Amino acid sequence: MVSIELQDLVFERRKGFRLGPISLTLGDGSRTALVGPSGCGKTTLLRCLAGLETPGSGSIRIGDRLVQGDGVHVPADKRRIGFVFQDGALWPHKTAMAHLRFVAPRLSRKDAKALLHAVGLEGRERRRPAQLSGGERQRLALARALAITPDVLVLDEPLASVDVHLRDELALLVRRLTEERALTLVVVTHDRDEALAMADDVVILREGHVVEQGAARDVLRAPRTSFAASFLCRASVWPAEAVADERGIDSLRTPFGTFERNGAPTGPVSVVVLPGEARIAAQDATNVARARVLRVLPRGDRALVTAEVAGRTIELFADASDTIDVGDTLTVELLGKPRFLVPDRRSGERVSSTKKNGDRS
Amino acid sequence: MLSRTITRLPLILGIAFIVLFVILPLVGMLAETFWGAEGFDLSPWSHLFEEARDRQAFFTSIQLGLACVAVALVLGGGHAWLCGTRDLPGWRVLGPLGVLPLALPPITIAMGWSDITVTKSFWFCAVLVGVAFAPFVAVMTARGLDTIDGRSYESALLSRGRTSAELLVLRSALPEILAGALFVFVFAVGEYGVPEFLTIKGKTWHTYSEAVFARWTRRATGSGMEDLVGPIVASVPLLVLVLFAMFVALLLRARATISGSFAPLPRRSLGALRVPALLLPVTYLGIGVIVPIVVMVRWAMGSTDVTEPMSFEVLRRTFERTFEQAGGDLRFTFLVAVLTTIVLVVIGPPLARSVAKRGILVQSLVAIPIAVPAVLLAVGFVKVYNRPELGPLYDRTFDFYDSAGIVVVAYGARFLPFAILTMLHAQRRVDPTLEEAALFGERGPLARVLHVRLPLILPALWSMACLVLVLALRELDTAVVLPAGNGTVVRRLSNVIHFGGEAMGGALGLMVFAGACALPVVTMLVTGKKMRSLS
Repeated sequence: MVSIELQDLVFERRKGFRLGPISLTLGDGSRTALVGPSGCGKTTLLRCLAGLETPGSGSIRIGDRLVQGDGVHVPADKRRIGFVFQDGALWPHKTAMAHLRFVAPRLSRKDAKALLHAVGLEGRERRRPAQLSGGERQRLALARALAITPDVLVLDEPLASVDVHLRDELALLVRRLTEERALTLVVVTHDRDEALAMADDVVILREGHVVEQGAARDVLRAPRTSFAASFLCRASVWPAEAVADERGIDSLRTPFGTFERNGAPTGPVSVVVLPGEARIAAQDATNVARARVLRVLPRGDRALVTAEVAGRTIELFADASDTIDVGDTLTVELLGKPRFLVPDRRSGERVSSTKKNGDRS
Repeated sequence: MLSRTITRLPLILGIAFIVLFVILPLVGMLAETFWGAEGFDLSPWSHLFEEARDRQAFFTSIQLGLACVAVALVLGGGHAWLCGTRDLPGWRVLGPLGVLPLALPPITIAMGWSDITVTKSFWFCAVLVGVAFAPFVAVMTARGLDTIDGRSYESALLSRGRTSAELLVLRSALPEILAGALFVFVFAVGEYGVPEFLTIKGKTWHTYSEAVFARWTRRATGSGMEDLVGPIVASVPLLVLVLFAMFVALLLRARATISGSFAPLPRRSLGALRVPALLLPVTYLGIGVIVPIVVMVRWAMGSTDVTEPMSFEVLRRTFERTFEQAGGDLRFTFLVAVLTTIVLVVIGPPLARSVAKRGILVQSLVAIPIAVPAVLLAVGFVKVYNRPELGPLYDRTFDFYDSAGIVVVAYGARFLPFAILTMLHAQRRVDPTLEEAALFGERGPLARVLHVRLPLILPALWSMACLVLVLALRELDTAVVLPAGNGTVVRRLSNVIHFGGEAMGGALGLMVFAGACALPVVTMLVTGKKMRSLS
């Protein structure tokens, strides 16, 4: 097991793209997902880590080895990293067995066979990539990455080209193999479910910068930025206003009514509602807003309703027996106090205040 | 360390080759336009196109080039278009045959047609030369059509109708078609063999290459080397024109998408025109292959012999006599062609890889050796490698100037752009992550090249090798200037025809044709795949 440490890493491309400066520490045996929208720099960061790109400045340390920075550039093949490319990057002319034996010539045929067995490719040793299914190709890419007995396993959108029903299976395989082999895992994805299925920690990137990082569980429970809230937590975010009236009472004006707030500075804020923090209102409910139904998806004995409240969408569950149709108007009720985020002066990003929740006035 | 050195060796050799055999002859020749007998002198540049004869020859060549492009687009492009997009009867067989005229030296096509017609007009010459180089357009049109996603055609058909959909296909294939047309233009403008052959048959107008060669041969009768300065200067505008065209073609090619997910173009019905449309491939192959081959077979069977009727016995005897008298030339020609191919197979891919990392401007500079008329390029070789100062070196080592070596490197320099451009395009089509994936193993650079990079580019490399072999077998323009080139079959072919040796000419032409067809045909039979030589 090794840790990974990135210090003030900066990478610039000619066409104006800039990544960083980024400083990160990923612990021994940690499983981290780099998430963010397309073009945010997550794959570039991964390629810098693997030695496929050379950053302009900053340093990378894998375990106690400096692999990048201070005039040092350890090439990719010396970093002890297993890399799984987005589409597998399998060699069309080689069999599954030949893939493993090429990257790891000292691997015995028996061990190679065992590795193929471990990823679920028993009996496929002599098949070429064109003779494998999408899921099997990705398993082979995983086996090839593991064949060199790496310290770090790096996956670049590994499930992007795999059928939806196979994704969970492969994600569990990745988890199991990294646990068994005590590997530090870094996975890049723009899919929240994929990230959460494989990783315990998340690093959220936006436009070349880290906007939030931490244990996935904590970020999901209490995102500190509106970007993380909407991107990772599927939260609904509304602009709101923190005001103080002439009587000196602080309040928060939201689409769900006005709430008392505890000491947040006045001015624009964001109100964040995580999944499960709102529901279709009971008749006597308070903290309500009007919503127009955009979509109704059956989910067993329930239905997932997507509705629009004050120009933003929110997802709610209803009983399957309820007669809700697209275009209907509903009343949505907040469960408890709304959390709000105040803008950060430096980044303009909405971040959590120290006192998060307001009280209903 | 050794492995890294070995993998870098071809690139180092390639760079050395470019310096010694491309830059040195061309720069040396260009330098002479600035340094006359009395030192630095710009007068050749101030007298550019001053002589009406030069001006006329130059513009005739440009006109010939454009006319050949038109012929090649109609016949070669039309052939590929019909075979690639329509339900033409026998399209599976006819399609690959589009490359066949390339297997015949252009002079043999001219020889064949001169046997049955006395026309020596400009357009007759344009049709012969145009057809001889039309395979460039045919193959590249086919390549362009192959890379179009059929779904984009279908979506245009559904939304905008048939005309718009057809225009979309044409627009998508245009970069490749233009690149093919450009190759036809540069070869036709610099073509020496066919116009010279028709001059001997009575043609009265002359091309630029003929003018260069005429001045070159006058050296021996008192005309000075400086006499050539005018044509060298005159070639510079042509060079600039070709480089600009190459820049545009590469730019268009670079913008063309190479789709990963892909559906082939649907084959559209020709309706009632299905059978009449066969006329185009038949015309194309008739002019470029069938008529010349039939004429050569007849010659070899003794059609021009007044003492004996045509027979297979005569054919057998002609081949026997040809082997006896020209066996050395045949061996020399195949040796030169094979060595040229080996040289370009070794240095082409690493140079293409290196060029790929640079901009399109640098990539278009690669075209310089084909943009310079072959006769002039060969003159550059003579000027650099026939210097008296090199005499002692040749005495101590070997006489490079009079050996097959100079023919190999001259052919290599001439066809280097094909090697680089073919591999450049192949490189573009290989997913870079396939090579990156090999970086994470325990294998060294040499193993990575042999086990990963080479297999990925092997089809393109083999196609390139076949193309270079065929071009080297049929090359005449370089051979007429280099003394060592006298030993090539095509040179002998042009000589024997001038002196009434049709029977042997026919046999030699058939042998070159068979030799040029052998490698691609064997490859197609073994792999069962069509070869896209210029892709």
